[in-house]
Amino acid sequence: MKPFEYFEPRTVGEATEILSNYGEKAQILSGGVDLIPRMQKSDIQAEYVVNIQKISGLEYIEPDEKEGITFGAMSRLRSIEVSKTIQNKYPILYEAIHQITSVQAKYMGTAVGNLCVATPASDVATSLFALGAQLKITGLKGERIEPIEKFYVDYRLTSLKRGEMVTEVVLPNPLPGTGTAFFNLVRTHADIAKISAAAAILVQNGICREVRIAIGAAAPTVFRAVKAETLFTGQKITPEVMNEAAETAAGETKPITDLRSTARYRKEMARVLVRRALEKALERATG
Amino acid sequence: MKEELSIVGRRVPRWGAYDKATGTAKYTVDIKLPGMLIGKVLTSPHPHARIIRIDKSKAEKLPGVEAVISFEDIPPKLFAPNRHDLILYHTENERKDMYVISEKARFVGDRVAAVAAVDAATAQKALELIEVKYEVLPAVLDPVEAVKPGAPRIHDYAENNVSLHLDFPLSMGDVEKGFREADFVLEETFRTSKQQIAQLEPCACAASFGPDGRLTIWSPAQGTFLFRTKLAELFDMPEGMIKWITLHVGGSFGKFGSLSVEPVCVALAKKAGKPVKIEYSREEDFSGTEARQTYVATGKMGVKKDGTITALQEKLVVDGGAYFTRNSTTTMLNMCGFTGLYRCPSVAAEADCVYTNVPTTGGIRGYGNSEATCALEQLIDRAAKEIGMDPIQLRLKNIKKAGDLDNKGLPMETCTLEELIKLGAEKTGWAEKRARKKQKGTKRYGIGMAIMMDLSGSHPAAIQHRNAYIKLNEDGSANLMVMAYDMGQNMPGACAQIAAEVLGVRYEDIHVVTGDTDSTMFDTGSGGSAGCYQVGNAVMKAAEEARKQLLDRAGKRLGLAPDELEVKDRRIYAKSDPRRGISVGEVARQATYNFEGEHLNISGKGSFSPTQSPPPFAAVFAEVEVDVETAEVKILKILYINDSGRVINPATVEGQVEGGIAQSVGYCLTEDYVINKETGVLESDNFTTYKIPSTLDMPETEVILYEEPVPSGPFGAKAVGHGTMNAVTPAIANAIYDAVGVFITDMPATPERIFEALRR
Amino acid sequence: MVKKEIVSFKINGRSYEVIVTPNMTLYELLKEQLDLTGTKRSCGVGECGSCTVLVDGNPTLACSTLAIAVRDKEILTIEGLAKGAQLHPLQQAFVDEGAIQCGFCTPGMIMMAKALLDENPQPTRQEVREGLGGNLCRCTGYVKIIDAVLAAAETMRKGGSQ
Repeated sequence: MKPFEYFEPRTVGEATEILSNYGEKAQILSGGVDLIPRMQKSDIQAEYVVNIQKISGLEYIEPDEKEGITFGAMSRLRSIEVSKTIQNKYPILYEAIHQITSVQAKYMGTAVGNLCVATPASDVATSLFALGAQLKITGLKGERIEPIEKFYVDYRLTSLKRGEMVTEVVLPNPLPGTGTAFFNLVRTHADIAKISAAAAILVQNGICREVRIAIGAAAPTVFRAVKAETLFTGQKITPEVMNEAAETAAGETKPITDLRSTARYRKEMARVLVRRALEKALERATG
Repeated sequence: MKEELSIVGRRVPRWGAYDKATGTAKYTVDIKLPGMLIGKVLTSPHPHARIIRIDKSKAEKLPGVEAVISFEDIPPKLFAPNRHDLILYHTENERKDMYVISEKARFVGDRVAAVAAVDAATAQKALELIEVKYEVLPAVLDPVEAVKPGAPRIHDYAENNVSLHLDFPLSMGDVEKGFREADFVLEETFRTSKQQIAQLEPCACAASFGPDGRLTIWSPAQGTFLFRTKLAELFDMPEGMIKWITLHVGGSFGKFGSLSVEPVCVALAKKAGKPVKIEYSREEDFSGTEARQTYVATGKMGVKKDGTITALQEKLVVDGGAYFTRNSTTTMLNMCGFTGLYRCPSVAAEADCVYTNVPTTGGIRGYGNSEATCALEQLIDRAAKEIGMDPIQLRLKNIKKAGDLDNKGLPMETCTLEELIKLGAEKTGWAEKRARKKQKGTKRYGIGMAIMMDLSGSHPAAIQHRNAYIKLNEDGSANLMVMAYDMGQNMPGACAQIAAEVLGVRYEDIHVVTGDTDSTMFDTGSGGSAGCYQVGNAVMKAAEEARKQLLDRAGKRLGLAPDELEVKDRRIYAKSDPRRGISVGEVARQATYNFEGEHLNISGKGSFSPTQSPPPFAAVFAEVEVDVETAEVKILKILYINDSGRVINPATVEGQVEGGIAQSVGYCLTEDYVINKETGVLESDNFTTYKIPSTLDMPETEVILYEEPVPSGPFGAKAVGHGTMNAVTPAIANAIYDAVGVFITDMPATPERIFEALRR
Repeated sequence: MVKKEIVSFKINGRSYEVIVTPNMTLYELLKEQLDLTGTKRSCGVGECGSCTVLVDGNPTLACSTLAIAVRDKEILTIEGLAKGAQLHPLQQAFVDEGAIQCGFCTPGMIMMAKALLDENPQPTRQEVREGLGGNLCRCTGYVKIIDAVLAAAETMRKGGSQ
C-alpha cells in the first residue's frame, strides 16, 4: 500500500489534534479490518494513519443501573458479543454481531469502527438504531452527544467534523415491557446484508407505547422508518396493524440493484422483515 | 474376486500431509530465488480496444526496473494456451488465437504489457508509468448479441464472432421422428453460471534462465511435459533446455490445464536476464485466468406416456470469452453429457462457440458435463411431472446398464446407476417423502435427485500416456518417480498405496518423487480425473516389474522359484512355509552391495496408455426447505452415493465428493460472476463480492462409497474428482422444484430469481 | 519520505529485529522479511482467513494488520505450533482425519481452530462451524476439517498435548 505517516497517540486529546491538523487526509486505525484492505486497494485517501489502539481507557463495556450501558471506541465486536449484559439486555446487538461469521474480524474489529465505515449494510448500526443508541463524539473543543439516527448524513458520510472522533456508544436502559428483534438476509453467511430490519417495541396492555423500526441496506444510510413508527404508535397491536406498518416501512425504502440483490426484492423483503421483526419483538415483549 | 488388500483401501495420511500441517509445504507463491525480480502485468481497462501505441520509456527509466515488455518483445506467434493441439486426435476444432501479450485488448484484464522490478512497489509504480494509447472499440458482452450482424468483430478471422460451429459426431437416429413419436416434447433454455474456480492459491509463476541458457520454471500447470513443448515452440528452445518444477499446488480443479501467466513470466526473465516471479492478486486471478465455460443451452426431450425417452437434442450457444481456450473440448463433453446419460435411440447436438469481450473461460471441474447433466436432469423431472410418473421411475425406465455405451461411445465394463438410485431412494425414504401431503405455511420441504456418469481421463479424444519408474533402496523402501500431479486430490498418495500394495512393503516405505520434468518420465498430464486410473496403472506395472526382480533375487537366495514366494509387510516368504523368508531390505541391500558380481538396483518401469475411460457414477439426493416469503433456499441434507470402482483411500475419495458438494452448493445458489454491462469490468472480483460457501453454508452431507471394481483399473479403481459436481446441482434444483414448483433455468438460483419465478 | 525503523518482534517465541516501514503488513513482515512462508494470503482483503495468526492469543488476519502495530505482542504462526517433531494435536488430527487436500487453507484453519479450542476446549459441532466461519476452503467442503477439530479437542481433553 502507499506509504503514509504513522501516529500512535496516547490520549484522545493527542488523537483529535492530529485529526484536526490533517483533516480528510487522516484515517483512524482501530481494528483495521475495513481500513487496511481499502488502503491496499488505494480505495481511500490515507496519508496519515492515526492508530488509536494504544490510547488507554477506550476499551470498556460498562453497565450502568441508571444509564444502561456504555462501551468505548476500542471495544472489540467479540467482547461485546460475549458480554452477558449485552446478551441479556440488548439481545439484538448480540444477534447482529453473532451472525458476523468471521471470528477473526470480530476479535480485531470494533463496534465504533464498524459504525464509522458508514455503510447502510452494517448490522451493528441497524440494531443500534432500534436500541436508541447515542454516540459520544470528542473533538478539540470538547464532547457532544449525537443520537445515532443523526450520525449518518449520506452513504459513507458521517456527521463527524474535522478533528472529531467517536469515543463512546451509549445505550439506554430498556424499559419494562420492551421487546426487540433483528433480521437480515444474506447471500452466504459471510456476506454483508442485502437487507436488514430491526424493531423495538414498548408494549403496555397490548398497546404500542413506543416503537423504533430501523432498516438497513435499503437506502444510502440505515434509517428509521418514521412513517411506519407514527402509524404504529398508540395502536392496539394486531396482525393487520403490523402488516400495515411493514407495508408503510417498505414504502420508505430507496433500495438499489447491485450485485448482491435487486431493488424490487429489497423493497419486498423490507416489508417481510419488518413484519417479522415486529412480530418477534412483540413476542419478546409479552412473553 | 475380492482380494485381501492391506494398504489399498485404507485411510492412510495423504502425501505431503505433514508438510502442509506444519506450514513447511512450499507453493509457487512461496518461491524466493536469489536475485529474483517481481513481475507485474499491465492489463486493459477497456473490454475492446485497439492498441495504437505503447510508450515504455518512463517505466524503463524508473530505478529498480529491469525489464518492460510489450507486444514487440514477445514471440509473434499465435498459440493456444492448452494442451489440445498436441494430443487430440482431431485438432481441426482447436484455434490458436492468443499471443503472449495481446496485440489488441479483448477484455478488461487482457494482458497489454509487463514489467520486472526489484520489488512489488517498484513494479507497481512502473506499470503506472507505461503509457498506452487505446482506440476504444464497441464491445459485446453477450453471446446472443455477439452473433448478430453488425456486432463488433473481436477476432479478425471469426465472422459474426463464431469461432467454431460443432456438429456432434455421436449424433444418431432421427430426432425429428423421435419428437413426432413422443407424447410430450419439452424444450427449455438454460443459462449456466460462469463460476470462478476460486482455488485458494492465486495464480503464480517463477522463471529463471541459468548461465547455460537452460530455463527452470515453477508453476501449478497441469501437464508440464506438454507445456514444456508449448514453451519450447513459443520461445524457440529445445524441450531438453526446459526444466519444469511443480511445487505444492493450492488448488486447480482444471484451471491450470491451461497456461496462464507462464509465457509472460518467461518473456520477462529472458529480457531481464534475471529470475522473475509473478504472483497474481486475487483480483488479477479472478479476471485474468480461466473461469467456468458458460452456455446458453437449449435442451429438448421427447418422452412417451410410458416414460420412454424417444429423442434428445441440444443446441448450444457457447459464451466463449475473449479467447478460444478450451471452448471446443468442453462443448464436446457437454454434448456427450446431454445425449449419452440415458438410453435413447435418437440424439443430436450442435453448438456455436462465440467470442465475447469478457474474461477467458476454460475447463473447470465438470468440463461441460456438469452443465449438461444439470440441464438434462432438470428436464427429466419436468418430463416426469408432465406424464405423471415418479422421476426415479422415469430414470430407471431409460437407465443404461453394463455393456451399453457410455456418454463417450465406449462400452461400459460396469454400470451401477440403477443400484445407486435404488440405494438412495431407500436411504432417504424417497417414496414417502414424495407422497407427502401438500404443505401450507412459510417453509416448504422438497426432495430431489439426479444421476451422472463421468470419465476417467480423456480417452478416446486424446492420446494419454503415463510412465512410472520405481527403484528399491537398501533399506527396503522404494523411490517412485512419477508425474503424479497433486492439486489436493492426493494422486501421489494413491500411487504410493498402489506401489506399496504390489511390492509388499509399507505405505511409508514409498518415497514419491514427483513434480520435476527432469527426474520423471513423460506424462500427458492431469485432467479429466485421469490420475488414479491411468497413472495408477503405470505405477502398478512399474511396481509389478520391480516385484518380479525382487522375487527372482529372493528366490535365488532361498532356493525357491519366484512363484512359490509371497511378499507382504516387507518380508518375502515361502507360500508353503512362511517361516522360510527374508526381508525385502536384505534382498535389496545384497543386490546393491553385491560381492558376487551380480549387481542390481532392483527397479521397475511401467507405461500405460488407456484403451478405456470407465465412467464413475453417482446418484445424489438433496433435501431442501424453501421459505416462500423470502424465496431463500436452505439445503437440509445431501446424500451422495458414489461409484468410483475400488477406493484406494476412502478419506481422499470422500474428501473429493465433499468438496464437489461444496462447489455445487455455491454454483447452484450463490456464486454469481458479475460483469458490469456498461464497462465490461468484473465487479465480483474478490471473495467480498464473489461468495463461495463457508462452514455455515454447508448442509449436512452423507457420502456412501459404493465399490464396483472395474477390471481395467488399478486394483479396480476408476476416478472421482472431476464428476463430483455433475449431479449435485440438478439434485438441488429438482428439490426446489419439488418444494415450490419453480423451475430455475438461470444459475445461480438466487432468492431474487426464485422470488420472481414464484410471483409468475 | 518513507520512515524506516528497526523494530523488535516476538514470533514463535523468538525475537527478531527487522527494518519496517509503517505501510508493511504483518503478512509481508512474516513472508518477505522473515521467510516464514507458512502463513498464506489468498485474498488480501480479510475475507478468506488464510492469513490467520495469533497475536497475544487472539486470532488476527495478518493481511489486514500493520506490522508496526503489533511490535510488542506475542505472535504465533503455524511454524510455531509443533514442538520439534511433535505435532500439536490439531495438526495431528488434520493429518489423521483427511482434513487436508491442497493445504492452502490449512495453516489459517489450524491457527483459528487453536484459538477456538483455547477459548472453548469442548465445542459442539455447531460451535466449531461458527468458530471457523471466517476461514474459506475450496477443496474439502469443511466436513473433515470439522471432524479434525473435534478429534483434536477429544485428544486434548484426554490429556494428549505437548
